[in-house]
Amino acid sequence: MLNLDPRRARWIRLRMGILCGAMGIALGGFVSSAYRVQVEDGAEWRETAERQRQRRLHVEPKRGTVFDRNGTALAVSIEVPSVSADVVEMLHAAETPDAQAAVIRDASLRIAAALSLPQDEVYEKLQNKRRFVWLKRRISGDETALIRDLGDAHKTPRPILGLNIEGEGHRYYPGRELAGTVLGFVAPDGSGKDGLELALDDELRGHVEELSGLRDRSGHLLFSQANTQADALAGHDVTLTLDEGIQHIAESELDAAQSTYETKGGALVVMDPQTGEVLALASTPGYNPNDYGASDVDARRDRAVTDRFEPGSVMKVFTIAGALAAGTLSPTEQIFCEHGIYKVGPVTIHDTHLNDWLTPTQILAKSSNIGALKIGLKLGESGLYATFRRFGFGEPTGVPLPGEAAGVLRPRSRPWFDVETANASFGQGVSVTAIQLATAFAAIANGGKLLEPQLVKKITDARGETIKENTTHVRRESVPPGVARMLSEMLVAVTEEGGTAVEAAVPGFRVAGKTATAQKVDPATGKYSSDKFTSSFVGFVPAEHPRLVVAVVLDEPMIGHYGGDLAGPVFRRVAEQSLRYLGVTPSTPAAKLATVTRADDPADQTIAAVESSGAPPANTSIVPTQQLAPLGPDAVRVPDLTGMGARDAASAILGAGLVPEIEGSGRVSKQNPAAGSAAAKGSSVRLVFEPAS
Amino acid sequence: MIPTLFPAGKGRSTHPPGNLKNKRVELVAPLDARPDAARIHAAIDPVLAAVVVALIGFGVVMVYSASAVQATVQYHDPQYFLKRQVGYAIASLLVFFGLSHIDYHRLYKLTYPVLAGVGLLLLLCVIGFGHSGGGATRWLSIGPVHVQPAEMAKLALVVWLAYSLAKKAERVKSFTVGFLPHLLVAGLFMLLCMKQPDFGSAVVLLLLTFTLLFVAGAKVGYILGASILGAALGAAAIRFREYRYERYLAWLNMDQHKQDLAYQPFQSVMAFGSGGPFGVGLGHGLQTLYLPEAHNDFVAAIVGEELGFIGVACLCAAYLLLVTRGVRASLRAPDDYGSYLAFGISAMFGVQALVNLAVALAILPTKGLTLPFVSFGGSSLLVNAAAAGILLNISRQGPPAPEDAVTPDAPPVKPAKFAKKHMQDTPIQQPLPIPDLPNEVAG
Repeated sequence: MLNLDPRRARWIRLRMGILCGAMGIALGGFVSSAYRVQVEDGAEWRETAERQRQRRLHVEPKRGTVFDRNGTALAVSIEVPSVSADVVEMLHAAETPDAQAAVIRDASLRIAAALSLPQDEVYEKLQNKRRFVWLKRRISGDETALIRDLGDAHKTPRPILGLNIEGEGHRYYPGRELAGTVLGFVAPDGSGKDGLELALDDELRGHVEELSGLRDRSGHLLFSQANTQADALAGHDVTLTLDEGIQHIAESELDAAQSTYETKGGALVVMDPQTGEVLALASTPGYNPNDYGASDVDARRDRAVTDRFEPGSVMKVFTIAGALAAGTLSPTEQIFCEHGIYKVGPVTIHDTHLNDWLTPTQILAKSSNIGALKIGLKLGESGLYATFRRFGFGEPTGVPLPGEAAGVLRPRSRPWFDVETANASFGQGVSVTAIQLATAFAAIANGGKLLEPQLVKKITDARGETIKENTTHVRRESVPPGVARMLSEMLVAVTEEGGTAVEAAVPGFRVAGKTATAQKVDPATGKYSSDKFTSSFVGFVPAEHPRLVVAVVLDEPMIGHYGGDLAGPVFRRVAEQSLRYLGVTPSTPAAKLATVTRADDPADQTIAAVESSGAPPANTSIVPTQQLAPLGPDAVRVPDLTGMGARDAASAILGAGLVPEIEGSGRVSKQNPAAGSAAAKGSSVRLVFEPAS
Repeated sequence: MIPTLFPAGKGRSTHPPGNLKNKRVELVAPLDARPDAARIHAAIDPVLAAVVVALIGFGVVMVYSASAVQATVQYHDPQYFLKRQVGYAIASLLVFFGLSHIDYHRLYKLTYPVLAGVGLLLLLCVIGFGHSGGGATRWLSIGPVHVQPAEMAKLALVVWLAYSLAKKAERVKSFTVGFLPHLLVAGLFMLLCMKQPDFGSAVVLLLLTFTLLFVAGAKVGYILGASILGAALGAAAIRFREYRYERYLAWLNMDQHKQDLAYQPFQSVMAFGSGGPFGVGLGHGLQTLYLPEAHNDFVAAIVGEELGFIGVACLCAAYLLLVTRGVRASLRAPDDYGSYLAFGISAMFGVQALVNLAVALAILPTKGLTLPFVSFGGSSLLVNAAAAGILLNISRQGPPAPEDAVTPDAPPVKPAKFAKKHMQDTPIQQPLPIPDLPNEVAG
């Protein structure tokens, strides 16, 4: 410009100036817009952006697995792939409507073929041009591969953009009904709804919010770092104290009892009395959490924990324990049982068996109400109440399951009147749960320590590091160890000849336990019903060094009602199979007695009495079967059991190294495999019982 | 309408007469007021050079920050785009400094070959040799290299317009000689761009054409008329292409369309906004997860998010400085050709930057224009660097400080010192009394 005519140069400068001014104004406009957006409205936009990230990032982490004590998975989450489409992304390359329509037509055709869906359906979904639409949920592995190929530029000349495969968590219970009431289930939104799934939801579920910002607009994880983080955020794994094998035994026996006695329901607890670990927790009717929708709400609760009932005679054990500990009763004392009829205040109490003079051992063995109430009244209202409390009644045991009932000791929230004390002495007018009974019996079995029942053994995070490990927790001493030992020996009499629960005796072991047959209160009349009962048996085995406490509660059996007849055999079969499962060798009672007897033990005389009267269970049937030569190292010959009673048949089967599967009651009418055939050691033999005609 | 032709050297009082024999081409003054050979290698405008280098470097950083996510997803290599951009940056710096050593007067011989070549490339692109991507056919594959002819078209058109307008000088005011041919060539280029479709480049080409015609003295009436015509055609192009009209409507009602058609601009504004005054910090932006092609046309949004308003303001200041130094070179250019060329190139930077920034802030509808020097892309970066190299060369040929003229062979002076000297420059051109203005200009 320097060489120009100055006039022209000035004009050019002027025009340049005008243009520069225009650009300057535009720049100023932009900067002021930027100021408005960034400085004035910045916080608002930031919030919007934050919301966008959070909303899109809500993807559930993998739920933790629930294992039994041996590492068998009881509840697992599996990622079921689902395919979704981002249609805006799919149409990224097509700008004109014609091109877009062509892309959608082509994509719907190919997607429909890959997912075996009708093309119209896919076309409809894509037609809306949404940023997110589910195409098909829960697709198979083949479909996943086909969809991947459709989006892969290396596999197909025209890749379809915007197809996303996401894993959706699906809860699966491999054992189906097994421990269903304990485990609970998970709702489709990923929250635990019952049982441990609800109680441990926080641990199992993991955390979502910390993942924000690490997923892109289609919800994909972007960095491998995020994957490891997802691992850390995944739910914790829970190892239970339950043993799948014992749980299975407990459930099948309880089911068998339900069909045999036509009970309304039942609960069964197997516990290790030394540690308080719950080995099995069964409840009938159960349900399959894989298909929880098909079950009745009533079937889903764990009756061992949630249902309280009047325990009946089983409470006599604790009445006597309290009296022995307080010194108001001596183990050899003879108590006059009034020949079966006794009046406390206005109420007349009856005994089923008419007795005159009984020792505490005999009161337990014959289950005398009058004997128990006399001991209870002598112990006194406050003493009895305190004893029950010391054994954990009237308070939750602390087992981590939702809806645990505490039970009620003083229903009217005031000290008992004498009649009530008398009733409470033999378990009327109070309510307890099955898990409380098992825990209280464990206290007797382990020398007086009331433990908290353990259901969760440990919790580990997704990388295998232990977050929490539960150990045995002693709540308090219920009774001194001496009293507990003495009581154990007294309770053995219940399952021996002359006791109320000979059916509960396990061949080869000494069983300590107590039956109970409690009349239920009819809600219509408010009085005890004459035909509705709760039959129960709680015991532990082996009596001298207890490995298992088993509490069996049968609600409203229709066929028979005596606890000894109904719950006793259930106890026996569960204990028998569980001991076998655990590899506990049968002991002769005499050999074991020596270890229990001690010079300074106040129970000496009781033990002597037990020893003299004790007729150990007959195991004669075992001997002949064992003499049969096995066919191979792991094969045994199936004994002939036809016509045998349940107890003998079971002994024979167990003696042969097989597991009985019992159906019906009475005498063996059929068996499978047939007698004399070969069977693998440890396999089960199905026995069909029919009442003897 | 009287052409005012000056003999060479007459307009320049400082022109050393001894160098006149070096001239190879005899031309009329507006096109070829060639300085002496020594001035071609005189010191560059250090501010201009520094701004360009800084913008290229800044671009590399921002491309990495904006593309790492997409690169990881698409190529499993977070540095995929970074590596390429670094390569382009090195090449473009070589082009930039290389061209600054070549006298821009030599370019006019290349004007027509380049114009024809670029026209041919655009044509090839449109008639089916193009490489599709991002919804348009904007690339040509030459072996492994993908070139974008529309980027070249901008520079080619500026170079041609500067040459043609300088050559025609006063005849620019005429419609048939000065106005129509330029508009026809530009119109042809625009048509080819629209066909790809690349509406944004077409608009930039039109703006550059009008800018240079206006500066060179074309009648304002013609420009206004053509503008109205262009606006009408543009409106028709939008109205009768359904997808463009939809986009336009989506831009008008962004809130309703933030999930579909206005997704990109909406996310872009969100990125700006969430940056706030000071930004979330380099590499900490999260909108890259939501903003498709963030390293390309929407890199400004990531600048806004990560560096905040401060960063955006600094970026604007850098472009302001770039254009200012470009206009300064234009004003100081030794002849019309250089002057028009420098102004056209400066306007090219300014217009592209403004349009891109305005699109990123959703002030204008989505166009598909790059942010000069900063956006990812080899074609754009190399073409802009070439343009900047020419600009740098023009800046060299400005009037020297007195001592420069005396000692042309003196070693290069330190840039800072050099800059100071230029600041102290006294106007060489004496203000002359102008008796009356030419009617043509006023019309």
